[in-house]
Amino acid sequence: MLFTESFKLAIDTLRSHKLRSFLTLLGVIISVSTLIAVVSVLTGTDLYVRDHISNLGSNVFAVNRFGIINNLKDWVDAQKRKRINIEDMEWLGENMRLAKAVGGASGHLSDVKCGNQSLQDVNIKGVTPNMIGIGTEQVQTGRYITDADYQRHTYSAFVGFDVADKLFPGLDPIGKEVFFRGQSFTVVGVAKTIGSAFGQSQDNFIIIPLTTFFKLFDDNRFQSVSIQIQAADAGLMQQTQDEARLLMRARRHVKYADKDDFGIVSSDALMELFHSIVGVVAYVAVIVTGVFMVVGGIVIMNIMLAAVSERTHEIGIRKSLGARRSDILLQFLVEAAMLSTAGGVFGVFIAWVGTQIMSASTPIPSTLPVWIVVTAVLVSAAVGLFFGIYPANKAARLDPIAALRAD
Amino acid sequence: MATANLEIKPTPVPPPAGVLIHTDDLWKTYQMGSTEIHAVQGVSISIRRNEYVAIMGPSGSGKSTLMNLIGCLDTPSKGAYWINNRLVSEMNDDELAYIRNKEIGFVFQTFNLLARATALHNVELPLIYNGTPADKRIERAKESLRLVDLAERMDHRPNELSGGQRQRVAIARALVNSPSLILADEPTGNLDSKTGVEIMALFDELHRQGNTIVVVTHEHDIAEYAHRVIQIRDGKVFKDEPTARAK
Ligand SMILES: Nc1ncnc2c1ncn2[C@@H]1O[C@H](COP(=O)(O)OP(=O)(O)O)[C@@H](O)[C@H]1O
Ligand SMILES: [Mg+2]
Repeated sequence: MLFTESFKLAIDTLRSHKLRSFLTLLGVIISVSTLIAVVSVLTGTDLYVRDHISNLGSNVFAVNRFGIINNLKDWVDAQKRKRINIEDMEWLGENMRLAKAVGGASGHLSDVKCGNQSLQDVNIKGVTPNMIGIGTEQVQTGRYITDADYQRHTYSAFVGFDVADKLFPGLDPIGKEVFFRGQSFTVVGVAKTIGSAFGQSQDNFIIIPLTTFFKLFDDNRFQSVSIQIQAADAGLMQQTQDEARLLMRARRHVKYADKDDFGIVSSDALMELFHSIVGVVAYVAVIVTGVFMVVGGIVIMNIMLAAVSERTHEIGIRKSLGARRSDILLQFLVEAAMLSTAGGVFGVFIAWVGTQIMSASTPIPSTLPVWIVVTAVLVSAAVGLFFGIYPANKAARLDPIAALRAD
Repeated sequence: MATANLEIKPTPVPPPAGVLIHTDDLWKTYQMGSTEIHAVQGVSISIRRNEYVAIMGPSGSGKSTLMNLIGCLDTPSKGAYWINNRLVSEMNDDELAYIRNKEIGFVFQTFNLLARATALHNVELPLIYNGTPADKRIERAKESLRLVDLAERMDHRPNELSGGQRQRVAIARALVNSPSLILADEPTGNLDSKTGVEIMALFDELHRQGNTIVVVTHEHDIAEYAHRVIQIRDGKVFKDEPTARAK
């Protein structure tokens, strides 16, 4: 009842002082739009990273030599580790009980030639035939690497979309030859395009049998297999990882007290790394937002104090007609909360426009998570309420006759 | 000074039944720097239900101060005051607000309407503060405006109304809660004499309907509408007698 009355009053005041209200709310607006923009960008980046960076298929993790390394000391230590070879991979494939599939991949950059055409730094990947089900590549035309290719170490090549496009523009690449590492390979298939991540094409690769790959690159002492293991389902990811870890430790004779001398990389582990970076950004954003909120709150408090002294006579009239302290308190609290909530909503709008612009001009998808919108609006309402307490209380405590005399 | 708190005050004697307003040795003292101004000095009056009283006196004699005390807008420095057999000095802030809302209808010289609100909304205000539901509120506010003959102006804001019309809106607002007492401080002070006469005729009518009316004025012709005149000089009751109309 009285609340709706106060509500109407607040709307009225907002309407009759549009510019002043806007300026008053600048702090809250900046604060809310910063918060939402940051959260939105981070959420968008998160989605993007999840989709594009990990490059792991669903329910797949990798066992490799280095794992995720984020400091120099670990990197130096990891250099001493033994390589992981095809035998390790095959042994794991025979001994794992929880894995749905165990495959392997290894990669190296190389220049590729075809007639007088040449491509630099193509990612040459050696794979097991089952990687078609484990990895993220899909066949567009032709076929993938087969068991026969793998067994017989053939010179077959399954090429990425960009490679096909650049070496054989307008032609059917199947059956054509490409050259690298002093060998001629026959193109047997073309992959569907994957797209790009952070402006880097993901389609610039040539896939060959892993066995052939090691014939070509075995002289390189860094060349190691990344064993790709697919769990039966998402719920078994952790258990499957545990099994792989135990088997690998046994095979490599790692002592009980020693750390793993290999790494396990999962999408989750990659996301964890990413989130530790995101955490810092979010932390800074929260502080910036908080500072602007407090500044915004203080401005609101001042404007409300001005409103109280401007409307002292009105308060006197209301008191002479029977308004209690609590009525006046409520009136000004609602007004302050409404004011700051309006700022919050406006901030959300600005952030929304910002994310639209961002998603139109960058590959990062725009997201406006509902929880952050709700939180932002609630926080701005709370800021208005909090900073409205002092002015509202001042208004409520005015002496009726003194207030009536004011003009 | 500390001993003053220990002083045993005699319990004030409540007024007899039928008395609406009763003051006993009422004082109001203002502190202006080092000097004290005694605006009201020991006023003891009784006003019965359905009386029509004028409080008269020259400017600065303490009429408004006395009216504000009677209207529970101001608190006395000393003395006891009963309204409707309730001792006002014992009331807390919310109870005083309730008295102002339910028992008293104010009419001020300067109208004291909310400039941004329509006539209807101004009249609704006292009902808002006692939680009357919106539909009933609007109905009663309209009825009150009809009583002062302003029903067709209910959507007008004060600046779209003449002085006399504004004062009639204020009177409608004072009446809307059917208060025990209508308190008017120089209600014609800002009006031309013709409009003043109209307003006084309205008070006459309200009195005939059974309302208790106290009008504060410094003009003889206005005071003559009342049935009893209390003359104030220097904050004291100087004369208290019925008028010719009382017969
Ligand atoms: N708030 C105040 N502070 C100081 N003096 C006041 C105040 N209000 C009224 N007075 C003084 O009290 C006396 C009575 O004033 P008032 O009641 O307004 O007289 P009236 O209404 O009869 O003209 C005057 O001398 C006036 O100056
Ligand atoms: Mg006066």
